Order: sequence, then C-alpha cells, then structure tokens
Amino acid sequence: MNPCAVTTGFFVLGRCGRPSVTVCRCGRPVCARHVDPQGLCPECAAAQAYADPFHPGWARGYRRRYYEQSSGMYNDAVWYSWFDSYDRGQFDGGDGFDLGGYDGDGFDGDDGNDWVDS
Amino acid sequence: MFWRKTRAAIERFHPVHQGLVWQRTASVTLPPAEWDAVVASLARHAETVKRRKWRLPDRTVAVLVPLIRVLCEDVAPGDAIGITADLRGPQVPEKAGPSRQLPVRKPIRSITEWFALDPWLAVRAELRDGSVLELTVTDRVRYRKIHKVNPRGKHKHKTKSKAVQRITARRTLQPGQDVRRPDTPPPRTLAVRVKPGKRTVISATTKLGPAPTEQDQLQWVLAVATEPFRWTPPAAERRTA
Repeated sequence: MNPCAVTTGFFVLGRCGRPSVTVCRCGRPVCARHVDPQGLCPECAAAQAYADPFHPGWARGYRRRYYEQSSGMYNDAVWYSWFDSYDRGQFDGGDGFDLGGYDGDGFDGDDGNDWVDS
Repeated sequence: MFWRKTRAAIERFHPVHQGLVWQRTASVTLPPAEWDAVVASLARHAETVKRRKWRLPDRTVAVLVPLIRVLCEDVAPGDAIGITADLRGPQVPEKAGPSRQLPVRKPIRSITEWFALDPWLAVRAELRDGSVLELTVTDRVRYRKIHKVNPRGKHKHKTKSKAVQRITARRTLQPGQDVRRPDTPPPRTLAVRVKPGKRTVISATTKLGPAPTEQDQLQWVLAVATEPFRWTPPAAERRTA
C-alpha cells in the first residue's frame, strides 16, 4: 500500500507516511486523516479558496503564499525553493520520502517535466 | 432587553473563548486538538453574538486564530502550544507608565507625556522537530495630552498617540541539530542573534514604527518567525502527520 504523500507542517515540513486509503485527482495517495470529504488531498481542497482562517484547511492553503512572501522579503530564493521542491517531491513516487528536488547543497532546478504548479 | 439568550449562548462557548469575551485575555497551554476546539468555538461567535460590547477583539480573528492554525500544523498531537494574549489594548491603566511634563510655549499651557507598554501576545510552542519556538509581540505607545488656551480664553484638550511595535521570535533547537547560515542576510530592520551551545538558540527581533495595521499584523509576525527557520534546512526523511 502506498504511504500518504501529503506535505505536513508549516515551518517544519514533513510527509505524512500513513497508509493511504485513496488517490486524489492530482495523483497523490492520501490517508484517511488527510482526505477531504470530496476525496481530495489538502492542497487540492485548499485550492478551492479557503480564505477563512476558521476553516481547518486554511493554513495548508496559506502556506505557499507565506513562503512566496517571506522569500521576497528576505530576498532568499533558496527559502522558497526548499518548500517548492519539498511540495513537488510528493508527486515523485518512490523517492523514498526524501526532498523532491533538494539534494542538500542547493536547488537543482526545474527539469521542465513537472506538470503541477502547486 | 437584557441579552439573556446571548449571555446564555456565550456561557456555552469554550472557556478560553469566554475569557476573550469577558476579560479580553487568555493565558492557557493546550494540545493542538484542544486549540481546534477553541477555534471552532470562536467561529460560532459572529453568528451568535450581535451585541457590540461582547464582540471579539479585532486581533482575535486577524492574528490569534491564524497563528493557532499555523502552529497546530507544526506541533505533534501530544505536545502543547501556550498562548498568553492580552487584547484589552494599551489604554488600560495598569499598562501606563509614569507621566511627565514637557516644556511648552504659548498658546500651549501644558503637555503631559506618558508611555504605555502593552505585551499583548506571547506564544510558546514545542515543534515536531524537537525545537521550541517562542514569539512575543509588544506595543509601546507614546501618549501626549496637550492643553491649549487661545487668546479668547477658550480651552482645548487634545491627546495624541504614537505606537511602535517590537516582535521577537526565538527558536531553541534540539541538541545536535544542524545549523547553517542562510545564503542571504535578513532585512536591515531585523536583528538576529545566534547563541551556540548544547541547544543552539536563534533569535530575531524587529522594531516596527508605526505599528502595523490589523491586516498586516500576522504577516509581520510570521516574517520575523521565519528567520530562525532559515538557519536549519528541512529534515529530509522525517515522516510526520
């Protein structure tokens, strides 16, 4: 059974890793804890505009915007690429739960094969 | 007429929520699941309570709730988040310091100046990676009460205020956690201090003047909190939920 590939955390990023119960429309395996009532992963569900911080999924939807803003404020592209590569890495099946495009020495760039932007 | 139903509805809210309504303060340490219950209770406030006097403080929705949501993402279910929020504002008498008279010239008759120190938010969270994050937000407001008399003997009193804000974020790493200097320096307004030791402590402080608006407040708190996390690359093989 595939482990749940949802990115967890806000400052401290992680992967869920629980046994998945379904597959989101984006292709990610999702566990029972993270699946939306409509069968979506938290990111796809957050993409449906959770503007209200009272919604439990608000922080996951806000996370990417926060990394964009703070990366701009610090003029630190690496800070955003950490998150971006981590988030993209969850679509890379069999990556052994390591960081998607981050090899520890810096961001290795976009190979142009990614089909998703979030 | 006496808002009995509304009062009864408030008494059914979560105790932390009730504290924010009645005292406008909260000081409590709870696990993430219990904070979710507090936020769920706060979410029912606007539709239940219509009385202006019992409205939630503005910073509850603008800062406190989003911050709880963010911290709950990073705290393991068994760990705790401690929050002390004093949302009464800087005009409470116990927050005011001693006053003094400033030198004046006509038509000003007197200027009385005093400062109010308002530490309205303190947060401590034990994060999943073993580090501890502490945040504080303190407003320092200068008040000047001016008494003016015009040539016809008419008296005017005016009070002016000017607020600056200090935000600090301190992260105490777990023993042996890797520390790496970020590739780019922080903004000039941000002072960073790294204290090496058995548990490395990274702290970031900024002073904002004038104090940010309610809409920008969360963004500033998170921006300052970012700096300690830039010093540690994300864990590569950590599986957390």
